[in-house]
Amino acid sequence: MTAEQKLVWNPDNVRDVAESVGISSLNEEAVRSLSQEVEYRVGQVIVEAMRFMHAGKRAVLGTQDISQALKVLDVEPLYGYESTRPLRFGEASLGPGQPLFYIEDEEVDFEKLINAPLPKVPRDMSFTAHWLAVEGVQPSIPQNPTTAEARATELVSKGPGANPSLASLAGNDHVSFKPLVKHVVSKELILFFDKIRGAILDEDPDPEVVSLRESALESVRSDPGLHQLVPYFVQFVAEKVTHSLNNTFVLRQMMEITAAMIANKSLFIDPYVASLVPPVLTCLVGRNLGPEIADNLKDQFQLRDLAASLIGQISRKYAESSTQLRPRLARTCLKYFLDPSRSLGEHYGAISGLAKIGGPETIRAVLIPNIKPFEYIIAKAINERGQNDESVRMVIAAIVKAVTSITDASSSQLTNGTNGASGDAAVIEEFLGSVVGNVIIAMGNHKLNKAILEAREKYLPN
Amino acid sequence: MPLPSSSWPSELMKIPANQRRQVIEYLVKKGYNRTEQMLRQESSHLDKEGKPINDRVEDLGTTKYSKAFQLLSNWVDSNLDIYKFELRRLLWPIFVYSYLELIVNGFSADGENFLREFSGPFEKIHHEELQLFQTIKLPQQVFDNATTRLYRNNKYRIPLNTHVYFNLVTFLESNGKVGGSVILLLLQTYCEVRETTRGPIDQFSFEAIINQSAGGQGDEADLQEGIPGVFTGITNKDIMNNNAVLRLGMIPMEAELALDVRAELEEEDIKHPPEAGKLLLVEEFEQNIKREESADAPTRNEIPLPPSRARDVVMEVQKIKENRDRFRIESRTGGIGPAVSVCMFTFHNTLDTITCMEFSDDNNLVAVGTEESYIRVWHLHGGILESALPSSPNDPAPSSSRRLIGHAASVYGVSFSPSIAGPDGADDSVPSTAPKLLLSASSDKTIRLWSLETWTCLVVYKGHEGPVWNVKWGPFGHYFATCGWDKTVRIWGQDHISYLRMLVGHDSSVNQVAWHPNGAYVFSASDQIDKSVRMWAFTTGECVRVFTGHTEFVSALECSPSGKILASADGGGSIILWDLAKGTQIKRCKGHGKGGIWSLSFSVKSTVLVSGGADGTVRVWDVELPSDPFKDGTGEIVSSTGAADATRVGAAPGGQPAAAAGVGSKKKGKDTMITPDQISAFPTKKSPVYKVKFTRMNLIMAGGCYLP
Repeated sequence: MTAEQKLVWNPDNVRDVAESVGISSLNEEAVRSLSQEVEYRVGQVIVEAMRFMHAGKRAVLGTQDISQALKVLDVEPLYGYESTRPLRFGEASLGPGQPLFYIEDEEVDFEKLINAPLPKVPRDMSFTAHWLAVEGVQPSIPQNPTTAEARATELVSKGPGANPSLASLAGNDHVSFKPLVKHVVSKELILFFDKIRGAILDEDPDPEVVSLRESALESVRSDPGLHQLVPYFVQFVAEKVTHSLNNTFVLRQMMEITAAMIANKSLFIDPYVASLVPPVLTCLVGRNLGPEIADNLKDQFQLRDLAASLIGQISRKYAESSTQLRPRLARTCLKYFLDPSRSLGEHYGAISGLAKIGGPETIRAVLIPNIKPFEYIIAKAINERGQNDESVRMVIAAIVKAVTSITDASSSQLTNGTNGASGDAAVIEEFLGSVVGNVIIAMGNHKLNKAILEAREKYLPN
Repeated sequence: MPLPSSSWPSELMKIPANQRRQVIEYLVKKGYNRTEQMLRQESSHLDKEGKPINDRVEDLGTTKYSKAFQLLSNWVDSNLDIYKFELRRLLWPIFVYSYLELIVNGFSADGENFLREFSGPFEKIHHEELQLFQTIKLPQQVFDNATTRLYRNNKYRIPLNTHVYFNLVTFLESNGKVGGSVILLLLQTYCEVRETTRGPIDQFSFEAIINQSAGGQGDEADLQEGIPGVFTGITNKDIMNNNAVLRLGMIPMEAELALDVRAELEEEDIKHPPEAGKLLLVEEFEQNIKREESADAPTRNEIPLPPSRARDVVMEVQKIKENRDRFRIESRTGGIGPAVSVCMFTFHNTLDTITCMEFSDDNNLVAVGTEESYIRVWHLHGGILESALPSSPNDPAPSSSRRLIGHAASVYGVSFSPSIAGPDGADDSVPSTAPKLLLSASSDKTIRLWSLETWTCLVVYKGHEGPVWNVKWGPFGHYFATCGWDKTVRIWGQDHISYLRMLVGHDSSVNQVAWHPNGAYVFSASDQIDKSVRMWAFTTGECVRVFTGHTEFVSALECSPSGKILASADGGGSIILWDLAKGTQIKRCKGHGKGGIWSLSFSVKSTVLVSGGADGTVRVWDVELPSDPFKDGTGEIVSSTGAADATRVGAAPGGQPAAAAGVGSKKKGKDTMITPDQISAFPTKKSPVYKVKFTRMNLIMAGGCYLP
């Protein structure tokens, strides 16, 4: 019966080794005992190597673990298997049912190796820091896995013994459970919140109401104890902006309150930035803001201006806590700017937003090279609406404003009059297109012209 | 020629049965009573054809063990439910001894069959032992291997309640011929069945629940089971006196230091009066920090520390300020959980060579040990790591990172000496509170002490007889503990190159070590066959507590700052909290995936525990909320079958081991169940978390390596 015993270690190996050391006829019994012994020792080495794997906090057993294990077991380590990567074994057949395993070595063409460019130097070990969780909530930034990746449903406990509030915190929507946070908010705070809401949305031009409105904003701006209300305010803003797109007053108030929250030093807005941005973007580059009447235009552009400066502030202030915020915002604006199907209002918002978010460098790199292509849109609008249409003029003004902001504003007037090189004018007009170019040239600002030409050298695609 | 006496009955038995009856009748008539009896006895072992009947299982050779084991497990399964829990504990020792018996007698093939046939139910709890047994195939190996030696040379204690014991014995005796005698023999030879007077136990028994309310775990009500050092899968408390009196109080502050600190605080209070609603620093000191000498605390004389210096005064003052100003975490969270923030430091381009990671207490430095034998220290905020030594012209300019080179093999542990964030606007007159020293433990059998001022190696401590797995500074510096492959824990003083204490008792390599916050106790945990956590008294060097209950290697240990609770985590993803004073298990927190929980950390008030592990998550646990053992493992909490409570031994019926094992392996991926005391879980992007740490201000710092 024992003869049928299956061995993991092939006894032929033992025989081979025996032959190689000069023992030609090893009896069956000895071969079996020896292979059993080998199996036992192999097991011992693996058990020991596992320790080294655990100590190295790794999930894959490596050759270095085996050699360390051999070392502590007082056995001469194996040489030639050192590798930081798992070894790849190839299989060759010696005959039927006689597989032979060997380490697969990559064949390298010597000629190629010499002529190939040097491989990249491996990068140095480094670290980055980010917020994995802020006050118990995981911010959705690129460094953190998305909900789908994390399989959030499996991260919290379920069943009757579990706490449902935790599941809702983790974003499991199917849990019909009011956020327990409400219990934490005191009655006074709720009352305060309702008052603020009421005061802010009151459109009455009565000076008393206006002052109440202003004091409400001021309160949000300076009160140190509002932290628990922040999510409510954020939600309030988002909701109002979505539902009151045709009411510039409400939109404006929402921007005001957002600005007030950001201005409050004692509030910690960072985890909410991701939810604050969309309403502001809506006010910046929304297609239709306010009612469809002529005298709304002023309100609409003022709102866009407010939103632009707000988005600029947000992108500056929170760039540190969420590194991707600024590029993302800039990209959104750029997309709107380059899309010819957008309305002039949207273009206006995109241009001013881009200028505010990115600053001079972005204008130089992104905006200026695209002014010429953009001229097509302006030309089309002029054809449709006439030279003096307010929207058209606003858009041109926005571009000019952005372009002029690339030089230091204070010194611009000093160089006036030294506009010598007439060749510049032609180049600028050629570079920026006739509409914007003419305006810029008419300003006669030498420094600005120079800066534009520099930008042209640097960024114009050849 | 007379026939040999033994052979005559067989000759006689060739006579047909009816003739035999006639012979018997004849013998009775003649009064040959003894001959008649002998004949009857002999003939009873023969069938009609006169062949001997093998009705005694001992005569079956090697299959008797599997027959007997089958018999026992069937009986256990068909027994009353209230006894099942207790009786199932019999199966493991019987299984082990049957197997070893087979191997020792040279029937390795039968042994293998036996193992294959019956190992199923034990797969869950005795996984590592089974793996080991699979490699043992020769008698010599049984005598060589440490684990099997432990089993063979010690009696396995099995406590049974009186009723069950009686039941068992009568069953075995009445079924003696079909295997009972085999079991009895094994029990007599290798085990020590103890009768106890308590009632039958299982998780829901009266005794278990009573113990529960007293703070114990149901399955833990049992006493005195198993062999010292051999993991039984059940809490084992007989190893040492687990009731030895502990002094878990905090060590009192040195009188002079306290005076200095007080003076300093008063000055500080005048300079910076506290904001409204906050205590004066002096008041804070009096109320929360100051400790008098008490019987509950070790004295300064027992653990001599170097005299305090100006730096200690500054550190104590800072501690009190932090104590007052920290972010509060509610003590009773009601399960909603405090809103903690986690700052994650992700290491890139590591090629999986980082083995350990440590943040300094002043939150400025991070040190990692690598398999490439060096240690690397970074300034977390990009500051320059200046050296006190004049730099030679060839040196590169100091940057925010430095390498410490000196070890000759993988570095497996690093530890910063105690430090604290310095006061705001500190100038040169205030002594620096930054960490000054770093310790590292390596596979080259040495521990090295590094200076963080000159960035050089100061001392090499030798003593361990194999790789040193871990090193930890004591809470006050000066002393440190190490543990290693040589199964020992050693405590060293910074000023001696040889160790002060060698703590021996673990049965396999010791891979984790931790300090009690008062500096008078050290904890250690061992892997593989042992898997126990031990608590040692520093002053006497004695083992004062043993905690068993882990079913995989223990991957992290941490004592709470309150000094009352110990948390230990294992490779299977469970965290167990232990009550130190009582020596009992408080609860088991589950939620982490397999692969090892590499780090644990308590909040300052010991109410919240954070853990991070190989599954790439940081999890936050409520220490005070019970993990609800009444619902545990009974399917009320969503869990797969494989996740059945590991504290129950041999939960699957012995009759279908293959099926049970199959289910277990198939569902491995979903094998996690999460106990309700988990507050939150934060996944990372493909980054196993190597280190988590609550700062003194209650922010969580986490460190991991991005391994795409």
